[in-house]
Amino acid sequence: MRPLDWLVLCSTLTFIVLYGLYKGRGSDTVNKYLLAGKTMPWYAMALSIMATQASAITFISTTGQAYVDGMRFVQFYFGMPIAMVIVSATAVPLFHRANVYTAYEYLEKRFDSKTRALASAVFLIQRGLSVGLSLYAPAIVLSVIFGWPDRLTTLGMGALITIYTVTGGIKAVTWTDVQQMIIILVGLLVAFVLIIRMLPPALSFVDAVYLAGAVGKLNAVDLKFDLANRYNVWSGLIGGAFLALSYFGCDQSQVQRYLTGKSIAQSKLSLMFTAMAKIPMQFFILFVGAMVFVFFLFERPPLLFQNLAMKELQAPQVSAQYAPIETRFQQAFEHRKEAAIGLAEARRKGDGAKRAESLEQFRQAQSEINGARTEGATLYVRTHEEKGFNDTNYIFLSFVTRYLPAGVVGLLIAVIFAAAMSSSSGEVNSLATVTVIDVYKRHVRPNASDHHYLWASRLATAFWASYAVFFAQYAKKLGSLIEAVNMVGSLFYGSLLGVFVLAFWFRRVNGTGAFAGMLAGEAAIFWAFWFTGISFLWYNVIGCVVVVVTGVLVSYVRPTPGTGSTVPGLNSRT
Amino acid sequence: MLHSSLMPQDRAEMPDEPPPFLGTWPRVYTAVLVYLAALIVLFYAFTRFFS
Repeated sequence: MRPLDWLVLCSTLTFIVLYGLYKGRGSDTVNKYLLAGKTMPWYAMALSIMATQASAITFISTTGQAYVDGMRFVQFYFGMPIAMVIVSATAVPLFHRANVYTAYEYLEKRFDSKTRALASAVFLIQRGLSVGLSLYAPAIVLSVIFGWPDRLTTLGMGALITIYTVTGGIKAVTWTDVQQMIIILVGLLVAFVLIIRMLPPALSFVDAVYLAGAVGKLNAVDLKFDLANRYNVWSGLIGGAFLALSYFGCDQSQVQRYLTGKSIAQSKLSLMFTAMAKIPMQFFILFVGAMVFVFFLFERPPLLFQNLAMKELQAPQVSAQYAPIETRFQQAFEHRKEAAIGLAEARRKGDGAKRAESLEQFRQAQSEINGARTEGATLYVRTHEEKGFNDTNYIFLSFVTRYLPAGVVGLLIAVIFAAAMSSSSGEVNSLATVTVIDVYKRHVRPNASDHHYLWASRLATAFWASYAVFFAQYAKKLGSLIEAVNMVGSLFYGSLLGVFVLAFWFRRVNGTGAFAGMLAGEAAIFWAFWFTGISFLWYNVIGCVVVVVTGVLVSYVRPTPGTGSTVPGLNSRT
Repeated sequence: MLHSSLMPQDRAEMPDEPPPFLGTWPRVYTAVLVYLAALIVLFYAFTRFFS
């Protein structure tokens, strides 16, 4: 980091935080602190929803995933527009008309208190784990730049987020997200343009795209149905739709965003905008990662992208074992570079024979590079008694800090920090909301003053931020962060979705049925997780189906007189 | 048990306004789903072309 980078980083962060606090001023009641007084316009909610999802994890990890695994991760988002349409047509008007702070409050109106309590507990566990992962992402940045241990940087970020969240309220969080989303998009565009400009002059943009595709980095769509394959079009459309339904329909961190809307129409518009913008944005982020791969075809990358791990491998006690791996990696890099140049030339000349020969050499060299990287990672794991090693999250940051010019590095680091802080603060805000509204106010202190609950919300915020810091200490064992977040969510989302499906569409299901359904759904998901090889995207489908079937059956066996709801708008179709 | 003192203003009769474009919400939803189908077709063509 050069002085200009520090200037850009500090000024950008200061501006974002001050802007958020300025826009969030006057949050002096529970309603204003937790729901922004229901004054938010659609574009602010939309950008806030996108910014919460496109946190630092998205920025750091998705680009790295494209480098390692190609662009197939984009299929994960294919189900989102479907889910957005369903949520917009059902949940949005129901939640608005039910006058609730939380989605789980609605469940008590529809079913009973135990169902609300169970759903709240499931959310608190699940989101509490995810917010820990969100905090860990910016800690990676500091680790790469300064060599600080992740644990220390996580604690530091947690402290900053605690202060920001406690003082801001959701209005500050939302408006901060708006700024961050704009900065994220600008930062990505700048990075993309610079990557393309840094490619060898003889290489055209089409050549670059062709080279990425030649080794499977542009595998955006896979039509083959396979339950064990994490990303294909079917898991994306079906599993992704169920996950997005759970996320946007049942997860308080998102429900709370569109509950701040001025009207039902404003909330719906925010979801429709997100539905249309999210997939192209993710595609673009992945494409940036694929172009980073092309850049490293001509510029020698490190064997491993984690600086600390590389230093450990180069240490005297390990260097004898490391040296031959490094030599093989260097040779493979030279072969790959030569083959890439040959392949691009053959493509331009339309020389089919030469192209086939170069393509074979190119793929062979890529395979050798992958092998050397695996050997390096294995050596690191063996000599340091680690359970595993994954440097996916370090790839993009390594590129940014080594090759981008002064000022741009600071901007991109600021983007990563700001996105992570806002995303985490939004999650912490929603955790505090559920803790206060669904637990404290409902079960502990039901008749206190508004001022009392406002301070309870702030204390709950501080508690959840601390919890997130504690969990974040273990995040680096979970591999690629973005997958880890989604995997943790999938362990809990299916049963949450199931109970809301029962609430919205199964009029005769009672509280006992819904409660039993949630327990059965959670048991089914953990069974699938521990005893089968089914990809995590399908857990939501399994959990939801088990909840619905169990809920219907139990309600049939043990019917409750007068089952049905008086909640405004329930069972209406909008 | 719910406590009305902290509840947001009663919005039980809150109207569902039409969207600012395409006239009705079902048309907006259809447009979004058609857009999704077009994106998938486009990405599939992209994958096939460059693989």
